Amino acid sequence: MRGTDYVLKRVGFAIVTVFVAVTINFVLFRLAPGDAVTNLSRVPHATPQLRHALEVQFGLDKSKWQQYVIYLKQLAHGNLGISYTNQQPVSTNLRDKLINTLPMVTLGTVFAIVFGTFTGVIAAWRRGTKAERATVFSALGFYAMPTQWLGLMLIIIFAGVLPTGGMTNEFLLDPPFWTHVRDLASHIFLPALTLGLVLYGEYTLIVRSAMLETLGEDYILTARAKGLKPRTIVRKHALRNALLPITTLIALSLGYIVAGAILVEIVFSWPGIGSAVNDAVHQRDYPMLQGAFLVLTVSVIFFNLVADLLYFRLDPRITE
Amino acid sequence: MSESLLQVEDLHVWFDLEDGGELHAVQGVNLSLDPGERLGLVGESGCGKTTTALAIMGLLPPNASVSGRVLLEGVDILAGGEEAIRPHRWVDVAIVFQGAMNAMNPVRTVGQQIVEALELHNRAKGVKARARTAELLEAVGIPAGRATRYPHELSGGMRQRAAIAMALACNPKVLIADEPTTALDVMVQAQILELLDGLCRDFGLALILVTHDLPVVAQLCNRCAVMYAGEIVERGRLEAIYHTPGHPYSRMLFAASPDLAGLGEPVISIPGAPPRLDRRIEGCPFRPRCDSSFEACTVRPRLEPLAADHDAACHLNTKVPA
Repeated sequence: MRGTDYVLKRVGFAIVTVFVAVTINFVLFRLAPGDAVTNLSRVPHATPQLRHALEVQFGLDKSKWQQYVIYLKQLAHGNLGISYTNQQPVSTNLRDKLINTLPMVTLGTVFAIVFGTFTGVIAAWRRGTKAERATVFSALGFYAMPTQWLGLMLIIIFAGVLPTGGMTNEFLLDPPFWTHVRDLASHIFLPALTLGLVLYGEYTLIVRSAMLETLGEDYILTARAKGLKPRTIVRKHALRNALLPITTLIALSLGYIVAGAILVEIVFSWPGIGSAVNDAVHQRDYPMLQGAFLVLTVSVIFFNLVADLLYFRLDPRITE
Repeated sequence: MSESLLQVEDLHVWFDLEDGGELHAVQGVNLSLDPGERLGLVGESGCGKTTTALAIMGLLPPNASVSGRVLLEGVDILAGGEEAIRPHRWVDVAIVFQGAMNAMNPVRTVGQQIVEALELHNRAKGVKARARTAELLEAVGIPAGRATRYPHELSGGMRQRAAIAMALACNPKVLIADEPTTALDVMVQAQILELLDGLCRDFGLALILVTHDLPVVAQLCNRCAVMYAGEIVERGRLEAIYHTPGHPYSRMLFAASPDLAGLGEPVISIPGAPPRLDRRIEGCPFRPRCDSSFEACTVRPRLEPLAADHDAACHLNTKVPA
């Protein structure tokens, strides 16, 4: 059967990739200079005994190989270690941060996909017109803007109208439900818009070029010869084919969004996973970083898998 | 005056080029097609054959400008622009493209694409449309069950058959076949030609066959128009052009074709290439390659009648023997 074989193969491949990523993640942090012990034993008159006690406590007296096996075992149980900074399990920390990041990133991405696809199709369809030039120009502009700069500009423009940082108004104590939602919505608007605009530029350009390529295909000429209206041709013949490369690219870029939100979250002090990575770097919180890296790589691999499966669904020519 | 089914009058096509220039691809073509007639449009690549075919259906790209008239049963179908010609497409004039082309949408099944044409022009809906699709596929020799297959699951010959079935969906009066057998192997070519021959007879189709392949024309057509450098240089009944060509280009074209030249006679090739159409052509466009040009050829010849239903554009025909 065409379906099951392909899906199994792709899922298997994704699992292997996760395993490789986990291993690299482990090795990377063993290669980083300094460890928890050198950091914690910087007290005056630290005795070798203290040092040794700490090494035993963190399991650093064992061989690298044993450490690796322990790491994998703990990972399988969902244990990502304890954060150095707040002594909470890393998994709990990451979960809390992800819950904050996801709505903001999702909102921006959905905005970009909806409008980017729309304007991209228009630009390709109305090739050579003012509408196309204006679309391409603005898309290139947004695509080229550094995310943090665009964020700062939006802060300048909207300061006083909308909140420019944080996720909620800290002074609202125990607000009623709808007040809380309104508060959240006003906070989420600017960071989501920043992310959305940058992605919008990218998606518009991708969709436009995929559409242009498709509109030049022979079967589009056939569709015209059959007497179909341009609108129907775009909808029933061009879009579906143009969606093939678009799906892949969008799914791939979704994987990087979690990582890419770092800049937006820092500019808008959004307490999400991007800010968490930034803080962890500054505080040398290795377990936290390691956990965050794991989440990022797994999300990239996951969306790759989604892209593969979607592509399979959309293109009957793919058999393996 | 015309009881012709399709009449093309003084058709010109220009393409705007990227560099601001202009390519005069079709330079005043006149054609007429009677019901049931089969016309071969022959010539080398770049002579405007396909452009003429696409212009008849109003399918040229946006950078093309067209002048002239295309009369379908006396009505100018080009006059009203895109909106006016759309109802005629596929209903009155359908087209089959080159076998090598991706003429069918790769992500939709063959059946869906035929049903689409039927439903679009209100020929049949739903179950009836699917039944009609099965009939059409059977008519071109494809098992009806293949309707649920995607184009890539069919062989090249099958795909071309499916394209023909799709073209017949709305019982068009005129079928344009643009190099329908190019890129197919010889056996499949023969089958497709035989199929077209039978279908034209059964469906009472008038056929315009665009090709550079003279044996194909000989097998399928009764009339022929030879195109060179964007214009028709000779037209008439096929036998007349074959036996008494009125233009050196036609004569050399036939001599360049091994099957028709007959065994034993050497196959010739015509030196040079057709002129570029983005420049003005002075005199007879074939003059640089012609083996019998003379002084008069510096003036562009016009299509003149040689005999009943046989015209050619060559000064040799009016040359006074010295």
